[in-house]
Amino acid sequence: MSIEEKKTVENVDPELDPQGPGSEDLALDDERRVKVLSPGAMVAKRFFRNKLAMAGIIILICMFIFSFIGGAVSPYGESQIFEDYEEVVTNFAGATLNTDYRYVEAYSGSLPTTARTSMILAVNQGADTYEAGENTYALQEIGEHSYLISGTATVAQADRLAGSYVLTSDVVEVTDDLSAAFNEAMNAGASTFTYGGTEYTITGSGRTYYMSAMQELGFATQEIIEAEGLSYQAKKEALVSLLAGDSTFEADGASYTMEIDGSTAIIFSGSDEIGTISSYSIQGVENGTVISTELRAAIIEAIENDTAAFTLPDAEGNEVEYEVVRENERYTIRTASSTRLIQTYLAPSKAHLLGTDGAGMDILTRLMYGGRISLLIGFVVVILETIIGVVLGGLAGYFGKWVDMLIMRIVDIFYCIPTWPILIILGAVMDSYQVDAKVRIYFMMVVLAVLGWPFIARIVRGQILSLREQEFMVAAEATGISVSRRIFRHLVPNVIPQLIVQCTMALGGIILTESTMSFLGIGVKFPYASWGNIISSVSNVFVMTNYWYCWIPAGFCILITVLGFNFVGDGLRDAFDPKMKR
Amino acid sequence: MSEMEKKAAQQDDVLLEVRDLKKYFPIKGGLFNKVVGQVRAVDGISFKLKRGTTMGLVGESGCGKSTAGRTILRLLERTSGEILFNGTDIGTLSKKQLRAIRPKIQIIFQDPYSSLSPRLPVGEIIGEAVREHGIVAKEDYDEYLDNIMNECGLQPFHKDRYPHEFSGGQRQRICIARALALNPSFVVCDEPVSALDVSIHAQIINLLKDLQREHNLTYLFISHDLSVVEHISDTIGVMYLGNLVETGDKEDIFANPLHPYTQALFSAIPMPDPDAKMNRVILEGSIPSPANPPSGCKFHTRCRYCMEKCSKEEPATYEVEPGHTVTCHLYAGGNKKLPELPPQDPNAVSAAD
Repeated sequence: MSIEEKKTVENVDPELDPQGPGSEDLALDDERRVKVLSPGAMVAKRFFRNKLAMAGIIILICMFIFSFIGGAVSPYGESQIFEDYEEVVTNFAGATLNTDYRYVEAYSGSLPTTARTSMILAVNQGADTYEAGENTYALQEIGEHSYLISGTATVAQADRLAGSYVLTSDVVEVTDDLSAAFNEAMNAGASTFTYGGTEYTITGSGRTYYMSAMQELGFATQEIIEAEGLSYQAKKEALVSLLAGDSTFEADGASYTMEIDGSTAIIFSGSDEIGTISSYSIQGVENGTVISTELRAAIIEAIENDTAAFTLPDAEGNEVEYEVVRENERYTIRTASSTRLIQTYLAPSKAHLLGTDGAGMDILTRLMYGGRISLLIGFVVVILETIIGVVLGGLAGYFGKWVDMLIMRIVDIFYCIPTWPILIILGAVMDSYQVDAKVRIYFMMVVLAVLGWPFIARIVRGQILSLREQEFMVAAEATGISVSRRIFRHLVPNVIPQLIVQCTMALGGIILTESTMSFLGIGVKFPYASWGNIISSVSNVFVMTNYWYCWIPAGFCILITVLGFNFVGDGLRDAFDPKMKR
Repeated sequence: MSEMEKKAAQQDDVLLEVRDLKKYFPIKGGLFNKVVGQVRAVDGISFKLKRGTTMGLVGESGCGKSTAGRTILRLLERTSGEILFNGTDIGTLSKKQLRAIRPKIQIIFQDPYSSLSPRLPVGEIIGEAVREHGIVAKEDYDEYLDNIMNECGLQPFHKDRYPHEFSGGQRQRICIARALALNPSFVVCDEPVSALDVSIHAQIINLLKDLQREHNLTYLFISHDLSVVEHISDTIGVMYLGNLVETGDKEDIFANPLHPYTQALFSAIPMPDPDAKMNRVILEGSIPSPANPPSGCKFHTRCRYCMEKCSKEEPATYEVEPGHTVTCHLYAGGNKKLPELPPQDPNAVSAAD
């Protein structure tokens, strides 16, 4: 071969050379060797030729895109809970046949509790009068289980003013004639007087006297009068009319009509329903439920007619179905109402590609955010571990003697620390101090790094110890190269490959640790997602067997990420090893 | 001859003088790592080395040749003694001063495989210290490096290669280039060819000789290979158990070995002529432990001429011929020759081989 030919061959990859690399002519000729690549390019070339490593790097790239870009692209939030409104038949109201006496007072406070309880006794004994407290009450039956209650009660107060008494009262109408009669009686020194057929008693002394009289104080009935806006008089008239079977009554100068159906009546003012009278007590299940008069009437009608269901238009005019369910003496009225529902364990669909989890959050979105946190924790922890490990291991290895002794004993002590109990205890401590979920993550990084650096320190120390005794280090010393240069140009480059390999492998391990911690509930906590705490939602066999999409994707993410890191680690180890064939 | 004249001119130009150099390694043991003994690797050696010459340091394995070389370069701290390089004692220099003098005193190691950092390209290995010490101006650096590599038989494009891509001989050339690039005046060659293929020996030795001529280098050539030493050395020092037992010009020593040990050692040189009658001197026993050397003359346990005096008194050094010294009681009082002894049993196993 001539020199020109040689030169052309120089740039040709020997593998492409038709003569082949084993050709006698080409052997041992430096000129014809493959062009020398820069050290970085050599490593990269070896790395890219490694199929497993490439698979690993593709996996990792995918996971990074998935985690860091996916989270930004996803239309849902990390802890967004999906809810839905659904019609659900719920208990709406309850109705019972009333057997208690209800009291309607003529005026506020006219029937004190003693008067009410004693009345029941008197009724049971068939007495017409009874005494309660210092007062005497009279009963007048106006119908079945309905009694008018009268009694002596202070009806007015009299104050002496300019030689005569001035009456004030909110019970009786104070007329000039009444005042005159009162003053007359006072002047006569009488303790009673009669005015308008009513006998009044005067008590008191000095400047203030009280005028009492037998007075209608209210009525007691087992009927329930639900009529807001009706006065005592009107209610009494309504009850009396009902008991008498009259469908009209007048009160306070207005006239009302009633639609009577058995013992139940609906009171109309003109054509407006203004109230009901019935022996049923109807109450909403939830506080504040307003039961309209129409509904009340309809419920009572349904109960009386023994119908199981009825419909009634609501305020907007839509027909609403009601069911009446009887349990002993109690009737329950049920109706469909719209209820807020969390969409848990939704199967994969277009809206939620991997469904939703037990808390109603989109699993795919959780996976993306979880990957972010898992990868971030992995990297931060490894970087921290490496910094601590390289500095301490490097010091121990390079300086040896007591420095080595001290650092390695510290390493031994760290190796003795039982990692999991410490992590669990720290997790519990953070729970009890209610540490913020974000701060927890930082703590976790620091704790994992502090517990994990010794293995890197050992590797670095071991490497440096063996390298330090190599002749090239003596040669470097002999050529008068400075200590820092000897460390950073001669020692560190020889340590870095193994360090990178170990760190890459450790990354996978840390992601596993973090997942396990989160799974146990001592790691990343809600609202933050992590692959571990996604899996921890699988707390029972039912979820595991029926909702595979809750845990298999997260498990798969952990699996392939750790696998990816291990592949890349292996690939890097081979690529960094210059003794490996290219 | 001009070379002879040159040598004569350099007669008094002593570059390196070693006076009573000792290097003891402590033996630690016991519960508290107490020093329980000392290995006397180098036990008081003295010699002078003139500029531009080569001193061959020969001896059995473990006699302290390499330790002596490294102690002279202060890669090991000496125990006592003086190492005068150009009149300054290397042993007393501060770290800073030592770094400044480092380029002047260089070493070539025995193993070219472990003495090159596997992660640095060859150009970096050779040139790193050149830049560090500012041997040449920045703009001349590339050219300088190419020249050095050329001189050592390397191609400039080797610069970007890594040591593992080279054969042993090439690696040794890299080592030589690394030492030479610093423009040293004194180089310790610590068995530079013993790890190499015999076919490469001559190349490397000739390279070293060529470089010595061009750069006026001074070598301390450590080897157990006497034929190599004969080829390269001007003067020879024979070591036995940490002591220099005989020094002198190569010709004198090869022609007239004085010390009984030297005689035994030199009788082991193989002859290329199969018909030549070899007059082997067979040593009995093995080399004693340097941790517990024999009293008096250290060689007396194996010496054919052992006298009563030998085991009691340490021998003095006698200059039998000009420049030819020997440390042996036999030469006390102006004796010039060894007494005659009956021939040995030729079947005895040689220990000095």
